[in-house]
Amino acid sequence: MNIVFTIIYLLAALIVVTGFYIQSNKYLRSMVMTQAFQSLLIAIIAIFLGFELKQYTFFILAVLVILLRSVLVTYFLAAKIPKNKNYLYESRLPTTYYLLVDLAFIVISIFIVYSISFIHIVSRIFPASNIILFPLLLFFQGLFIIASRRRTIAQILGYIEEENSLILMGTFILPVPIIIESSVFLDVLILVVIFSIISIEKTEHKPVEELRG
Amino acid sequence: MIYEILILIIPLIAMAFYKNIKITSIIGAIIELFLLIPLYFDLSNSGFFFIDHITYIFILMVSSIYLMSLLYSRKYIHNIGNKGISENVYYMLMGFFYVAMEFALMVNNYGFMWVGIETTTISSALLLITEKSDISLEATWRYIIIVSAGVTFAFISVILIYYAFGTLTVTVILSEGIRDSLAVRLAVGIALVGFGTKVGVFPVHTWLPDAHSEAPAPVSAMFSGVLLPVALYVLYRIYEIYPMREIFIWAGTISVLFAAIFLGYQRNYKRMFAYSTMENMNIALIGLSTFTFAGLVGSLLLLLSHSFGKAGAFYSSGNVYEMSGTKSIDGVGGLIRNKASAASMLLSSFAVTGTPPFGTFFGEFLILYSVLSIHFYAQFGIIVLSLFLAFVSINFNVSKMLFRGKSEYSQSGINTIIPLIAAIISIFIGIVFLVVYHEIL
Repeated sequence: MNIVFTIIYLLAALIVVTGFYIQSNKYLRSMVMTQAFQSLLIAIIAIFLGFELKQYTFFILAVLVILLRSVLVTYFLAAKIPKNKNYLYESRLPTTYYLLVDLAFIVISIFIVYSISFIHIVSRIFPASNIILFPLLLFFQGLFIIASRRRTIAQILGYIEEENSLILMGTFILPVPIIIESSVFLDVLILVVIFSIISIEKTEHKPVEELRG
Repeated sequence: MIYEILILIIPLIAMAFYKNIKITSIIGAIIELFLLIPLYFDLSNSGFFFIDHITYIFILMVSSIYLMSLLYSRKYIHNIGNKGISENVYYMLMGFFYVAMEFALMVNNYGFMWVGIETTTISSALLLITEKSDISLEATWRYIIIVSAGVTFAFISVILIYYAFGTLTVTVILSEGIRDSLAVRLAVGIALVGFGTKVGVFPVHTWLPDAHSEAPAPVSAMFSGVLLPVALYVLYRIYEIYPMREIFIWAGTISVLFAAIFLGYQRNYKRMFAYSTMENMNIALIGLSTFTFAGLVGSLLLLLSHSFGKAGAFYSSGNVYEMSGTKSIDGVGGLIRNKASAASMLLSSFAVTGTPPFGTFFGEFLILYSVLSIHFYAQFGIIVLSLFLAFVSINFNVSKMLFRGKSEYSQSGINTIIPLIAAIISIFIGIVFLVVYHEIL
């Protein structure tokens, strides 16, 4: 494996670490900024791949990720954080709990990759590798944030993480046409705008009697 | 190609006249319906658009229900007291929602189909808060987050299709015939979970009753009548690549069974109709999954007839809600005194529960026949039992609303006629099918 691919491996692992950091974090602003950093890491991976494989679409992807995820989405989310109340109260569980959950995700991802079938979906970019493990892990982390948090902003961060995992997966397996990738980015951006409209009046989500059954 | 482009552009032109959007949207929707006549004789099967006879039925469904919903909205939306969005924004979002659905149906690319389905979520989300309340805000959020998370899952399926074929063009992939590879099987299986979220497959259906019950009646009609079938269409196009019959039919059967169980204890009539949609969509999924001619015809007939029947049911629900001010089944009684509303509610509930001679009955009949023809006896038994349970639950509750107690509900005007027309179209579809295609039965 050459040095560029080794760096990409390390960056992919670092992305998963940022996912864990978002998961276990209580502070909203810190969570939002980590999301921006996570997106930036994806952009850096795309740039490395662009140079290594000499494909300009990776550069377009990198620009889109930086512009839409790291800047615009972060701006919209950060603007929604109350000035005097920049932390989450509902997340009181100890960090070890999240560590355990993440370990479970690692086991599930390894199981999917090796036992079920993904091992046969050979990465076109990293043949004979298990790099697909990282986006899978990130996907589960995103889903877990959506399921475990009550705050609107935390749930949207989970959703963005899920979308980041798909970009990473697409990049590692075989990048889909850039026009479709761009539409995915715009979808997320519009969803964040919708979120900002809803979150004006609804910042927390609990079970509602009228919506049971 | 020109008709497809016009279908996508006309609603956008209607939006340009923002101040008169209420009128221009309706005019646009009428033009759209007329455009379907030349479109029938000029179906695209290559290039950017792909429309065959199956797609055409879905387009017809979407255009018809869109027009009916716009007509119904005129008075209904105007009468809402606490609006979350203005009337003009409502019509604009309805236009975007419609275009997104037509785009998802007509486009010849799995990636863009995914984009179309995701756009339907974005464009319809704010429609849910038209009748603004804390509950509708919660339902909107659940709709956005559950459906988006689910549909994101479907994007893995798109990546895998691209991995397996090197293209996302529907006609190219389908022309290669059924191809069995691990990537393809994974793609089809993941699509069931991903797009299945929007179709209402158990257990990823949870957004469905919340969104349907809190959306205003014309939006619920669009959701039930056409949005879910559009998602089902996309799922079917992926299923065609490699039919995983056993998994899909079991998923549909279990979903129908759970929908029937949920129907048994509903107290809110809009939620009841939402679960009925889940039941009908999954029966259609089973029919399509049998991959037989009878199953396909049955599913299309069921979906077409159901779209009008269910639209009628939700319009009737809207009328009942306007008159009674409650969505509780026990809160409504003596509806029979208002003849038009009672007739539309009764006919609609017959339509959605597959009572003869409604088109849904013949559709379900053909689907059950196709399930038997491929020797899926256990599934057949479960489906028949579920259909019976659903029929009893819905009609019992509607009967309670009609005949129990006394009340002085009164309503007149076009909004009492529209649900009646929708329910009658559902019967008409059944009768036309019986007369013209009786040899298929």
